[in-house]
Amino acid sequence: MYLSREQEKMLNGEYGWVYARALEVIVKVGESLGAEKLVPIVHAHISGVSYTNIGEPGLGFIKDFYSKGARVRVYSTINPGCIDLAGSSQVISSSFREKQLEINMYLEKMGFEKTFTCIPYLHRKPGINEHLAWGESSAVIFANSIFGARTNREGGPLALAAALTGYTYYWGLHILDNRVVSTKIDVSSIRGEYYGALGLWLGEHIREIPMLTGISGRLDLLKILLAASAASGDHGLIVLENITPEKTYLVNDKIETVFVDENEIEEYIGSMPSRKDKILGYIGCPHLDPYEFEKLVEIISKNDKGVGDNLLLVSIPYIYMEVFKDEIGFLKSRGVDIVVGTCPIVSKLSREFDYLVTNSGKAVFYMSRLHKLNTYITSFERTVDLVYGG
Amino acid sequence: MFNKFVVDIIVDGDCRGKPLVLDTYISFFGEVDPYKGIHLPTNSLFKGRVMVFRGARGSTVGSYIIYGLKKYGTNPLCMIVSKPDPILITGTVLAEIPLFIVKNYDVFIKNISENTIILHRKGEGWVEIIG
Repeated sequence: MYLSREQEKMLNGEYGWVYARALEVIVKVGESLGAEKLVPIVHAHISGVSYTNIGEPGLGFIKDFYSKGARVRVYSTINPGCIDLAGSSQVISSSFREKQLEINMYLEKMGFEKTFTCIPYLHRKPGINEHLAWGESSAVIFANSIFGARTNREGGPLALAAALTGYTYYWGLHILDNRVVSTKIDVSSIRGEYYGALGLWLGEHIREIPMLTGISGRLDLLKILLAASAASGDHGLIVLENITPEKTYLVNDKIETVFVDENEIEEYIGSMPSRKDKILGYIGCPHLDPYEFEKLVEIISKNDKGVGDNLLLVSIPYIYMEVFKDEIGFLKSRGVDIVVGTCPIVSKLSREFDYLVTNSGKAVFYMSRLHKLNTYITSFERTVDLVYGG
Repeated sequence: MFNKFVVDIIVDGDCRGKPLVLDTYISFFGEVDPYKGIHLPTNSLFKGRVMVFRGARGSTVGSYIIYGLKKYGTNPLCMIVSKPDPILITGTVLAEIPLFIVKNYDVFIKNISENTIILHRKGEGWVEIIG
């Protein structure tokens, strides 16, 4: 692999052991994939920070690297951990509270921004053709497909190495020639409330990079769709007609258009719960953007019913604790389980339910496996309605 | 009899010991007990052995588990695999556990047993089977 003098120095240990190991990881993984050089990045986003996932070995690694002098060299953000940072959730277990806070502390001291969110583009919007090294598949696909930025789906340790060195290997979706659409899919007959199910279908049925036509322009719905397809498949880029910036992708000469309708995605939608079922309603996977959050406040303020044995779980970025302090207080007073800077998918649930109702295909994909729940995908509004006995 | 096998070196280092052959892809996250140095599906101890297997699979958390092996002193002496992948490369680089990709994996595993010793000297482009 070609290395600049600066990169050679780092690899040879002139900046210390930590940076030499971090760059060695990137160089050796890059070489094994056939990369010819490294590329500087402007933003690293690290996943693999939840104690529930990484356990003692992960905590130990982060602690060792911190104490050996690891500090980020570029703007770097952190995915959600496994605890509610507001500390008042009725359903997210706080049994690993001390461990998660320890991980968070080392990362902060290394210079990571305290974002604890899976929508890092809330804090810094990627520019067109900017190179990034992001973990968190739902954020990666959003960066490539909506902003026209360039990032592969990095594993947690590789994104961490990129944060420390400021480089990643020039390979995959960093290269324009690999961002080639080879099929068109017409989704105009699918209603927005089923974009979570559509995303799951895309992930399981489409291997190459598709271009979606006849698609809604609503970013909240696109976020849901992209996250689901990145969860059930290995997509890092789905081109969205008239949305994905031009010149950030190429299109094959001869491609066919496939039509998909609601019958084909029915199995992913699931079935409606009955009145007897104990419902866990969940919105915020990926985390709610500010517009969705304000919409939730409006819906709840107009609703005067109770939740009974049901629960509405809502996950939001850490920064909302400051920005939407009063709104969070109001929602909690109405029985909404607002959880901050965490992800129910990588957390333990301390209460049992019969049904998961959500707008999120990604949440269905993981939570139906982890918590053995029946599932139903519907709109944001209908999810709230069903929890509140509508 | 073949006794020298050409390898690609990912992480170099001296390595000499008895092999443990697990002819499969291993998910270090979930299939390994890092505190004991055991591969759980086969209940076999890899601590202090030359670990021979096809490659890694599963979650990228596996890299942290490999790092943990070195920290807890339960690591294999080195790893010899058929295919490299980012999880394995990342883990062994961070943990400084030697990792070799053996060119002729299928023949290699047929030539080793519990009674053989595997040897690699740092800087050489092969591993030797002794005995």
